[in-house]
Amino acid sequence: MLDRKPHQSRRILPTLRSSAGSFLILLIALAGVVVLSLLLSKTPAKTLRYFFLGPLQNTYYFGNMLTSAIPLIFGGLGVSLAMRSGNFNLGGEGQIYSGALVTTLCAIYFAPLGLLGALLALCIGASVAGGLAGLSGFFRMKWNTSELITSFLISNAVVLVVNYLIAGPFMDPSTSLIATRKIPDSFRLSALLPPSNLSTALFFALVAVVAVHIYLYKTKSGYELRMTGLNSRFAKYGGINTKKFIVLPMFLSGFLYGLGGGFAIYGTYFSTIKEFSSGMGWNGLAVALIAKSRPSAVIPAALFFAYIEAGARSAMLHSDVTFEIAAIVQSIIFFFISSEVLLTLFEKKRREL
Amino acid sequence: MPLELAVEMRNITKIYPENNLRANDEVDFLLRKGEIHCLAGENGAGKTTLMKVLYGLEDHEGGTIRIRGNQQDISSPLVANRLGIGMVHQHFMLVEDFTVSQNVLMGIEPRKHGLIYDRKKADTLVNEVIGHHHFSIEANMLVRNLTVGQKQQVEIIKMLYRDVDILILDEPTAVLTEQEIESLFSTLKQLAQKGKSLILITHKLQEIKAISDRVSVMRQGKMLDTYETEEVDERQISALMMGKSISLSIEHGKKNTESRPVIEGRQITVLRQGQQRPLLNALSFTAYSGEILGFAGVSGNGLGVLEAVLGGFIPIYDGKVLHNGEDITNIGTALLRKQGLAYVPSDRLKVGSALKASVQENIIVGESGSFRKNGFIDQKKVTRHTNDLLERYSAKATAQMPIGTLSGGNIQKVILAREIERYQDYIVFSEPTWGLDIASSQFVYEQIASLRDKGAAVILISSSLDEILTIADRIIVLYRGTRVASFVGDEARNLSKEEIGEYMLGIRRQGAAHA
Repeated sequence: MLDRKPHQSRRILPTLRSSAGSFLILLIALAGVVVLSLLLSKTPAKTLRYFFLGPLQNTYYFGNMLTSAIPLIFGGLGVSLAMRSGNFNLGGEGQIYSGALVTTLCAIYFAPLGLLGALLALCIGASVAGGLAGLSGFFRMKWNTSELITSFLISNAVVLVVNYLIAGPFMDPSTSLIATRKIPDSFRLSALLPPSNLSTALFFALVAVVAVHIYLYKTKSGYELRMTGLNSRFAKYGGINTKKFIVLPMFLSGFLYGLGGGFAIYGTYFSTIKEFSSGMGWNGLAVALIAKSRPSAVIPAALFFAYIEAGARSAMLHSDVTFEIAAIVQSIIFFFISSEVLLTLFEKKRREL
Repeated sequence: MPLELAVEMRNITKIYPENNLRANDEVDFLLRKGEIHCLAGENGAGKTTLMKVLYGLEDHEGGTIRIRGNQQDISSPLVANRLGIGMVHQHFMLVEDFTVSQNVLMGIEPRKHGLIYDRKKADTLVNEVIGHHHFSIEANMLVRNLTVGQKQQVEIIKMLYRDVDILILDEPTAVLTEQEIESLFSTLKQLAQKGKSLILITHKLQEIKAISDRVSVMRQGKMLDTYETEEVDERQISALMMGKSISLSIEHGKKNTESRPVIEGRQITVLRQGQQRPLLNALSFTAYSGEILGFAGVSGNGLGVLEAVLGGFIPIYDGKVLHNGEDITNIGTALLRKQGLAYVPSDRLKVGSALKASVQENIIVGESGSFRKNGFIDQKKVTRHTNDLLERYSAKATAQMPIGTLSGGNIQKVILAREIERYQDYIVFSEPTWGLDIASSQFVYEQIASLRDKGAAVILISSSLDEILTIADRIIVLYRGTRVASFVGDEARNLSKEEIGEYMLGIRRQGAAHA
């Protein structure tokens, strides 16, 4: 058994190095696109052109790319916040989905209240999602269960429940989709860059990034959360109520995911369509991992992820490859990034023992 | 004919660019075959860096390394192992749930039919090495159940099994008890007789005298010189290490007539699940203002438990803790902090600091609330406060650096600064100078003495008898979680080490505990 080189002393410029790591993985992913196109396409040059330039070629594609980045930003923030506190939220799927459904239903119910109703609906939806994640935190605090496992399991169950609610009691019979009724027109966010789906939800996502950044780095609570995440024994020794920072970050994490779901409804979908958010939770996780839990880095990471997806869509429409190419490239990124993150996570757990 | 050289390092230079530190500055180091060579120096002198270069854990900017006469480029520990160089780190790298042989053979397991792990053969192979070198463990023991000293043996066996003949040990005695140190030393002497060349990184003078053939002394990244150990005495080595001679001492306080009880422990009992013997057994004590109350004991006899109780980390089963008469039993760390707990923990890396957080973030823990302006933490104020503390406690650091990049002595200074700043009327020190060099230790003692003079009730928990005898005004000796002796004032000061040692080892105990 050989000793691994110690990180501390070897790192010349730690931040630069760690960003370089993420950057390298992105390059590998892009190389993967090239290789896959060469392998799978009869016209690789055309495929590559559409893949890389397609998302940027007109406002429709560009706007839709930004649109799909929005829930990723919210999800990425949510996961980052949890990870900063030393917790892991794997329940994004169920949290986005339930957040969206509850927001939709409340919005329909609060239609007469106008702006206030819209805000209220959004808050309730996000709080329900936050509550689901917070439950995992509560379990960990109470019985020391792994929040990683419980958040995942709860989310899986919630997805099924939401599916049932959409297909059953809350289905809108007037459409052929399996979806709820639409939210009132007055609740819809105004469009940017028509004819794309982009809405002012993008600005709310950016506001969320700033808010999370300020919370983490400028407030007492954010400071205590980070210290708990860096070294919970130190935090406890310093007089910080570390139990609080098991439940609170999980709640906030789910809350952000839920906001992502809510804004997707207000800005893009207007009703909760069955499985509309499938994959957004996981992609939010990947975004947080690429961003190394830095709120400011969540924006470029989410844009990159959205770009890959938009590129694949464009290549699929104009060339002979299938949409799976995006899934494969995203899996490559996910694989490389998560393996590195898990490594550090395990190192940390071992040090704590 | 010069003696055969196992290692010849010439003009080794190592620069850490983060803080532009010349950790090694044109260092020469020669290791003879079959000798025990101590590498001495204060914290931060560059000893460990030099050995990491030799072991391939650090690259170097300049200089050459020859192993048995041949120039080598040691780029990684793998290369070092191939050249027969092994290193035993201060912190062990063992899989606790594996047996001794599984740990030793990791990566080179014997196999049956090329596939299946051959447990019997593994145990036989490892037992051979154990028998050959007279170790006290067996191949099929679970590492989890071994003592610290035995775990260190596993690390050494790991190296021996790989035919290492140049063995580096980084502060090997830091975690061992007296008896374990003795047995380690006899092992090392045997290894040297068998032709192995050994390097011990240490700053303990008695050990250098006790075991080494030669000693090399480093200071501030430079190699001063190498001496035959018998030709220098402890004083000379110490003077070389320090650059100036300082004897550790503090002025003892005049008996303060206004002394009042600040912290009282009454019949504190702490039980451990599944164990008959309590960790602390009806321990009573009183810490008075303007006085240093020292708790002495061999590790494993309740010092660590007492620390955890005072820090609020573990609940007590029976008894009471009072602060100025107010009951603070089992209220938890957060409330104890609000009550006025100031506390320098023994584990300054895992408990006392968050290594990846900046110095200033470490400074404001638990008090971040007092730096708020309009609801946000006022970063400028925090930085100002931190810089002020760093200057007053002469810690070499900046407010923004991650605290993990500082030397051990400087980390301790930051912790001291934080805790002394927040102290109200009592303060707990646990192993405050563990692993620190002489100058840093003296600094700590001066701080403790000045707190005492300001009227603080100081509780000092220390397994270092020298430390207790140097600075404590009153001494309580713990043995198996029970108070077996206590000494006051001059009585404490005139005690001999041997005498108090007998209490610590349970050979003697006072009939009726007084004080």
